[in-house]
Amino acid sequence: MSIHILPPEVASQIAAGEVVERPASVVKELVENSLDAGATQISVTVKEAGRGLIEVADNGSGISLDDLPLTVSRHATSKLSTADDLFQIATLGFRGEALASIGSVSHLTLTSRSRDSDQGGKLRVDGGHISAVEPVGVPEGTVVKVADLFYNVPARLKFLKKDVTERRHIEEFVARYALAYPGVRFQLRQEDRHTIQTSGNGDRREVLASLYSLELAQQMLEVIAEYEQLTITGFTSAITFTRSNRREIILFINGRWIQDTALVTAVVQAYHTFLMVGRYPQSALFLELPPELVDVNVHPTKAEVRFRNRDHVFRGVQRAVRRALLAHTPVPDISRESFGPASDPVDFQRMDQAWPSPDQDFQQGQLHWEPRDRQLDESRVPLLRLIGQVAATYIVAEGPDGLYLVDQHAAHERILFEQFLQQRQTSIPSQVLLEPSVVEFSAAEASLINDQLPVLGTLGFQVEEFGLNTFLVRGIPQILAGIEPGAALRVLVEDFEEDETPLQAEFEAKIIARVCKRAAVKGGQTLSVEEQRVLVEDLEACQSPRTCPHGRPTMIHLSVDLLERQFGRRGAR
Amino acid sequence: MKVSVLQENLAKGLNIVSRAVSPRSTLPVLSNVLVATDEGRLRLSATNLELGITCWIGAKIEEEGSTTVPARTFTELVGTLSDQQVEMSLSVRTQTLNVHSGSSNTDLKCIDSQEFPPMPTPDSGDAIPISVNDLKEMIQQVAFAASTDEARPILTGVLVTVNGDELTMASADGFRLSVRKANLSSSTSRPQLAVVPARALSELARIISDGDQMVDMILPPDRGQVIFQMQDIQLVSQLIEGTFPDYEQIIPRSKETRSVLSTSSFLKACKQAEIFAREGSHIARINITPGGELKPGSIMISGQSEETGSSQSEMDASIDGSPLLIAFNVRFLREVLEVVKTPEIALETSVDTAPGIIRPVGDDSFLHVIMPMHLGS
Repeated sequence: MSIHILPPEVASQIAAGEVVERPASVVKELVENSLDAGATQISVTVKEAGRGLIEVADNGSGISLDDLPLTVSRHATSKLSTADDLFQIATLGFRGEALASIGSVSHLTLTSRSRDSDQGGKLRVDGGHISAVEPVGVPEGTVVKVADLFYNVPARLKFLKKDVTERRHIEEFVARYALAYPGVRFQLRQEDRHTIQTSGNGDRREVLASLYSLELAQQMLEVIAEYEQLTITGFTSAITFTRSNRREIILFINGRWIQDTALVTAVVQAYHTFLMVGRYPQSALFLELPPELVDVNVHPTKAEVRFRNRDHVFRGVQRAVRRALLAHTPVPDISRESFGPASDPVDFQRMDQAWPSPDQDFQQGQLHWEPRDRQLDESRVPLLRLIGQVAATYIVAEGPDGLYLVDQHAAHERILFEQFLQQRQTSIPSQVLLEPSVVEFSAAEASLINDQLPVLGTLGFQVEEFGLNTFLVRGIPQILAGIEPGAALRVLVEDFEEDETPLQAEFEAKIIARVCKRAAVKGGQTLSVEEQRVLVEDLEACQSPRTCPHGRPTMIHLSVDLLERQFGRRGAR
Repeated sequence: MKVSVLQENLAKGLNIVSRAVSPRSTLPVLSNVLVATDEGRLRLSATNLELGITCWIGAKIEEEGSTTVPARTFTELVGTLSDQQVEMSLSVRTQTLNVHSGSSNTDLKCIDSQEFPPMPTPDSGDAIPISVNDLKEMIQQVAFAASTDEARPILTGVLVTVNGDELTMASADGFRLSVRKANLSSSTSRPQLAVVPARALSELARIISDGDQMVDMILPPDRGQVIFQMQDIQLVSQLIEGTFPDYEQIIPRSKETRSVLSTSSFLKACKQAEIFAREGSHIARINITPGGELKPGSIMISGQSEETGSSQSEMDASIDGSPLLIAFNVRFLREVLEVVKTPEIALETSVDTAPGIIRPVGDDSFLHVIMPMHLGS
């Protein structure tokens, strides 16, 4: 067989494979274009889970008639002109591939009118063949219709998941961007049904409420933090609200949704000892940092990024979330009913009617937020006056805002845990192996280890590369010395994969085991008044006094308000 | 079966074999002890299929026979019998063993002895006689260093090699290596080697009766078993399959520093350091300072914990070589010092990343290698 240059359509289709994986990627590319065009309204319509039709309409700056044919040719972009710009990317797109790629695997219709032109233009691309531009009269903005996606790539079509799954991907994606751009009014119609509708009034909490639920929006704690050149805003769930996986930890960098296991780890780590094993928070964090400090040009889908200073970002995220949590760690309520919902659910049907005319009064649906904000200094337990012990297990104390019941065992565990944690050495001793052990990993695990080689040293591992995907382990941390070296290294790889702080779980398990084995007073043990007083004082001094290291509450709070209600002094609800 | 035995003998025999009983097994018969008449004596056997122990006790046999008796019940029962004579008779049809002693009369439900796994019979031809004292000491000095991690089965065993008139036992758990050699009274015809579970050896050391002078070790060819045969006791163990690491390679050939010090002071210092080290890193730092013209060399051992505090103990040592600060797992140090028999030991080191060797001074038969630890950067 002779070697020949591929026809451009074929080359396009191959490239499309990288950019356009599934209907959701089309939505992503088009919505990002709209956002780059400065749109304040973006409407997405999807039929047959994106295989039939994907239409994205915006009111952005539009494309002038002359530029229209260029938009669908490869490496044509308005967002970038020199290679240097690549390191200063402030727009979501920049590769100039999206429209060309989508055009090569679908019937694409592009209609647009630029802000400073009276006439719009229409252009069709069918499997890569570009038609002539015909002038049309359209409103300002751009409408892209992508019909029959993958009609000429049966293999891709075959590999699409069930409609439900594809729809969910689209929905998740639009939801994420709606959250990232609260100032943009998003609308998603799937199969003639409104699934997402935001007001575009700039209130992220409102977007949260419309995407998830009002209850969730109320429970989300606000994260605001600024570290040098890094601004972090967003929401993270209170410890009372958890998820069974990490999927709902959403991260944006400079308005771009990214996937980064390390940063997700940072978030999970911030909840350390607050959540039960296997439970994860829900977060939406928006990071802003100068474009030159982050490289988004890693992969065509741009879901991965590289940081100039990863550690700084990691620490920033962890600290920001932790701070938000500590400021809000709530005492479990004695009765759910004692707190009414802050406001009634929003009638989104009404908002729907308001669409798409921007003039209609959107204020109807506006909410009055009463998030349960507590000040930072209130994360600690207030000064308590000891009253006594009940059932040889619970300590009764009075605070400024009512009665506190403290579980003496859980509270003591928390106190000891924090003491031990503080005492923990920063360096991890390493035990040299009698005979270096050769361990083989899968390519993915190997690259993970390669990335982390310098970190491994500080964790007590002495590991060298030893050929393809193979490593020579010379020493392992003392804490893992009971198990085989290969297994020890795998523990670490799992920690990395599972986004846990490396070996954190091992250390904590050890500390918790010590706390439990030693000293922590048990329930059923009568304590002298002096012992009770010290316990309460120590708990007051704890960083996060409200849960024990296993995640159970250390105390129950009965507010004066609740007592009054219960005694009928105030109108019962 | 109808036999009469002394309560004392029966209790002792049951105590020995019950170490091999498997208390939780899907095979009920493995929780039982085989009781059988055997050439004028009573044979008691128990096995968990890995380890099997048989013990013969003197008995007056009126009627031959065999059965298997629930080990725990039987042992507890025999322990409470006060009369000297214990008479046992089996009802074969119901497999019920009647135990009669003094005023007590008990019936035990048994399982047919046909279900009990057959115990191997040694081919006495290849027996290697080992002195009991040597064997006990070897096991004591080697078995503790074997691994307990079932993920690496080979390291849970002790490599036993017989070459000419030399017997060697070696064990390693990945961080330390213990090697002990002993001379045999007679030379064997061919070299033999086997990896015996450390647990089986520990059991052997525990049950070797003081009356015996010699133990016969038998490695029946191609059976994957080792048999230790004494006068009245036989222990059979499955061997561990696999290749034991070439430990000779691991033993450092050269040394920078040789420190000779008192075993008991070193052990005491290690125990002291461990009080603190066990809370945290398990690290004992050893600071080796060679002496000058006027003052002797010294070794300082320190252990510390963030929680409880720290301890240092210094002792005189005769040091030949350069100074060194090296860290070891203090438990490893303590465990080897506990089994050294000589009053003085030599600690051989080179650099802080290289292994340390401990040898009893004046005794070439034992050596122990410990890998150092590092404090993370």
